[in-house]
Amino acid sequence: MKQLRVLVIDDSSIMRKMIARCLKLAGVEIGELIEAGDGREALDAVRKHKLDLILSDINMPEMDGLQFLQGLKDIQAAQGTPVVMITTEGTESRVIEALSAGAKAYIRKPFTSDEVKERIMPLVENLA
Amino acid sequence: MMLIQTAKREPRVPAHPSWRGLMEQSACEVFSRMIGTEVTPISEVVVPDIGDVIAMVGMAGALCAVFRVRCSSEAALSIAAKMLGGESDPEHIPDAVGEVCNMVAGNFKAKIDGLAGGCMLSTPTVVIGHHEKVYSPASTEHLFAMVDYDGKPVWLGLEIST
Repeated sequence: MKQLRVLVIDDSSIMRKMIARCLKLAGVEIGELIEAGDGREALDAVRKHKLDLILSDINMPEMDGLQFLQGLKDIQAAQGTPVVMITTEGTESRVIEALSAGAKAYIRKPFTSDEVKERIMPLVENLA
Repeated sequence: MMLIQTAKREPRVPAHPSWRGLMEQSACEVFSRMIGTEVTPISEVVVPDIGDVIAMVGMAGALCAVFRVRCSSEAALSIAAKMLGGESDPEHIPDAVGEVCNMVAGNFKAKIDGLAGGCMLSTPTVVIGHHEKVYSPASTEHLFAMVDYDGKPVWLGLEIST
């Protein structure tokens, strides 16, 4: 499998590490892991790096995950990069909002590594 | 003419005695799925003087409340280590307990009609130390629960502004 450049966005550093660990357990080969603590930092990272996969929280200070998705639309290099939202805000309306804004999948916290695998692998296999 | 637009006010959802069980269930699910440890509810809830790590998440909308998780430093360090797959560092304590509080609060509100989409969560705040006092200007209703995490109590509190 291709070594992926992955951006994980969450205001909790421990959650960023947990998500990266779950990806590895799911069988995702991470070539480079880039972390961001909010949407603004994440947009800077997207401008600097060519990414294969983005995982983002929704509730974050400064710029939240839905605002990040809006900002991402203006970055040509990021078009086509799959974004997966991982959040405690798992209501149907939030899911629809995120998917309408461009997210490819949605994972609700608390999650298991099996759930991460189920949602991420179809997106990752398309990249290989 | 000037138009003043106000935020839509969600109808208030009144507290229910079943919420204590839902708090326990929410904690059980978070610990099982995210930390890989089964916790069990403790039926007798003691005064919350059980530890020095306190995480708080504000809830606003259909429920105005503060959700709190409290435990000892020892329990918090163990939780952080399990979240990171074995790595143990006291620096991770605030982040770990804050995130647990956020997930338990989010999981709790997702179980209640009218709260799932009608109530927003703040980002967590974590206080470390004994003898803290929390004052609320609004009249408050309290719900408490406790779970046993590897022989260490973890206290859950919901303080509702009425």
